[in-house]
Amino acid sequence: MTPAVNVNELHYHYPNGPAALRRVSFTVQAGECVGLVGPNGAGKSTVLAHLNGLLPDNANAKGQVMIDGEMICKKNLDLIRKKVGLVFQEPDDQLFCPTVFEDIAFGPRQFGLPVDRLENLVRESLARVGLDGFESRAPHHLSGGEKRRVCLAGVLACEPDILLLDEPTSNLDPRGRRQLIELLAGLTITRIIASHDLEMILQLCSRAIVFDGGRVIAQGPTRDLLADADLMRAHGLECPASLARDPVAPEALL
Amino acid sequence: MHIPDGFLNGRTAAAAGALSLAGLAVALRRTRNLPPKRVPLMGLAAAFVFAAQMLNFPIGGGTSGHLIGGVLCAVLLGPSAAALVISCVLIVQCFVFADGGVLALGANIFNMALVSSVGGYLIFRSVYRLLPGSRGRLVAVAIASWLSTVLAAVVCAGQLALSHTVPWPVAVTAMAGVHAFIGVGEAVITVLVIHAIEQVRPDLIDPSAPSPMERRGFELIGFGLVIAIGLAVFVSPFASSAPDGLDHVAQSLGFRDHEAAARVIASPLPDYRLPGISSAAIGTALAGAAGTLMVFGVGWTLARVLRSRQTDLNVDLAASVNGAGPTGRDSADA
Amino acid sequence: MHTHFLDTYSHLDSPIHRVGAATKTILSIAVIVTLVVSPPSWIGYAAAGIGLLILATASQIPAMFLLKRLIMLEPFVLGAASLALFQPHGVPRFAQIATRSTLCLFTLVILANTTPFSELLHVLRRARMPALMITTLALMYRYLFVLKEESARMRNARASRTFTTTNRHAWRSMTTVIAQLFIRAAGRADRVYAAMCARGWK
Repeated sequence: MTPAVNVNELHYHYPNGPAALRRVSFTVQAGECVGLVGPNGAGKSTVLAHLNGLLPDNANAKGQVMIDGEMICKKNLDLIRKKVGLVFQEPDDQLFCPTVFEDIAFGPRQFGLPVDRLENLVRESLARVGLDGFESRAPHHLSGGEKRRVCLAGVLACEPDILLLDEPTSNLDPRGRRQLIELLAGLTITRIIASHDLEMILQLCSRAIVFDGGRVIAQGPTRDLLADADLMRAHGLECPASLARDPVAPEALL
Repeated sequence: MHIPDGFLNGRTAAAAGALSLAGLAVALRRTRNLPPKRVPLMGLAAAFVFAAQMLNFPIGGGTSGHLIGGVLCAVLLGPSAAALVISCVLIVQCFVFADGGVLALGANIFNMALVSSVGGYLIFRSVYRLLPGSRGRLVAVAIASWLSTVLAAVVCAGQLALSHTVPWPVAVTAMAGVHAFIGVGEAVITVLVIHAIEQVRPDLIDPSAPSPMERRGFELIGFGLVIAIGLAVFVSPFASSAPDGLDHVAQSLGFRDHEAAARVIASPLPDYRLPGISSAAIGTALAGAAGTLMVFGVGWTLARVLRSRQTDLNVDLAASVNGAGPTGRDSADA
Repeated sequence: MHTHFLDTYSHLDSPIHRVGAATKTILSIAVIVTLVVSPPSWIGYAAAGIGLLILATASQIPAMFLLKRLIMLEPFVLGAASLALFQPHGVPRFAQIATRSTLCLFTLVILANTTPFSELLHVLRRARMPALMITTLALMYRYLFVLKEESARMRNARASRTFTTTNRHAWRSMTTVIAQLFIRAAGRADRVYAAMCARGWK
């Protein structure tokens, strides 16, 4: 079966910068939830940007990124951007419209959804993330958690096949974090989550990939990787508390 | 310098509105092909101007001033983008904060987005051409900031006087006087900010600017024309009504017939007034505008003729500048 | 100074709020034009004032809030009007200009606070304002508050590490904050661009 995402020997460096990704290869099957973990600067965000076609394919990039069997190139960028939704690390960067309604409607509008269906779609998307009635709110009146959920709603409104999330629980209070995790757990589309929140990765992702220095260090079942204390420590991470205490059934403890 | 409603009469507001629209049209034409990457910067820059204007600079005695940002914007974004950005700031200030009137929006946009920002840019480029190099640039910024602030104040005074709200001598003394001080602050702040940005991110300073050798052609001429007409309409009516120097000399030397002589070559605009227009002020204003247009027409034709000769020269010069060494473009300076 | 009042009361549900943004804008401009163009008349001004007070009450915006907005802007009106004193019949002229201008100001304040900015943008869009300006206005409005908070954080950070209080130092400090503010704004613009592209913007 064609994997949803297939990254093959991806090598990339930012203009005038050192290599950000070195011969990165991994695949993600449809419906899987995969976690990308690693220290700051490991290249997790860069990988996500590549998957969404945000980084120009120029002399700085080598290797291939395939979405649903199709290689990303200039010609199919629009299609890729519709298939792959990216939730940014900083909600303020992604929530750029004057009202919640307009922001959620932005993506669908760009992708050609007729205007008369927009209202329903926005309402459904807001309901999905638990923010009913927030249509006319202005972003600067929202809390951090609410902004994150609006961003997620805006991306989900585009009905992507693959959802990418960059540090989704950063700056969230415990309640906001719990709500977001429950939300993500309820989705069935392919999800790739880059995060320092290892408990969340443990709870949501069946597989994990450890990055460091732009390289893939290890990939495999989440519990095996995250329980490996030496591996974690060697790459700027730690075993999540639940695994450190009791290596059996972390879900039962949460 | 935001003029509230009720200070400008209908005619002045309408004239200013028309000129603003013309100026914005020039700006929009130039930014027609703005690379998409630069579009969000316009909005962010507008938010930046707004936020920056709210920072207080203590002057002493409990008073404080703040940045206006016209020349800063123009140097960072280029004149057309700056004109649009400042106009948007003014629109938001008017409709959201009632800072500046709705009818007066045309005048406010003309004064602050066109005269202060674009006009300041024109001054900046002229001085920079005389004093190239990174130090020269800062001097050019300082002069442009001060001069454009005072000029905008003078134009504002003219608008108030033309509306018979405030007598001209009072208006110009108060506005120009106050803004001569404000202009100093503006110059200092703008220079320091540009310098600070230069140290860290010199690439942010008007990346789309043509090199000093190139001309922006249509853009600068279009803006220059709009501003010049505005000056003619709002300021020239108050130019000295005493006979100008030549006239005075002629009178004192007893050239009593000079009037008769003039009528032989019937000037279309006798005494700087258009025949048939009763109000002296409006007549002078219109005549001034017409005169400006004519002068500009001649000037522009000359410039085009000269430029077509220069172009070949410029191409070679540009090639040698790019190839040779650290002259011309600032990014080459250490 | 301003952003505390950013759309604080524009989402209330009063008879005034419910009137369409386009209608309110046109009516406000009509009122202002009438005030400006018609010859001065104290009866006219009184009538306008009473009318505006009725509208203000109907809008359910707290009176103190409206008063504060007016008081904040009034000094500029009075200051500019005071220049009118220096002419024959200066005092009545001053009074007339100040009154007329204040009434216009009041009209604008009511409009501003009963109309969410996004609706105003719709009005401008329908009035065929160029797309580039609409986008600039929308983004500006969205990020006003964000940048203001950023500048406040930077100022606090500076203040907590500043031990001199000379004016000169304050100026250097402030200009660095402004420079940083622009640099960050430019960086954010790049990220917003990426976000727009990620959702299909061309």
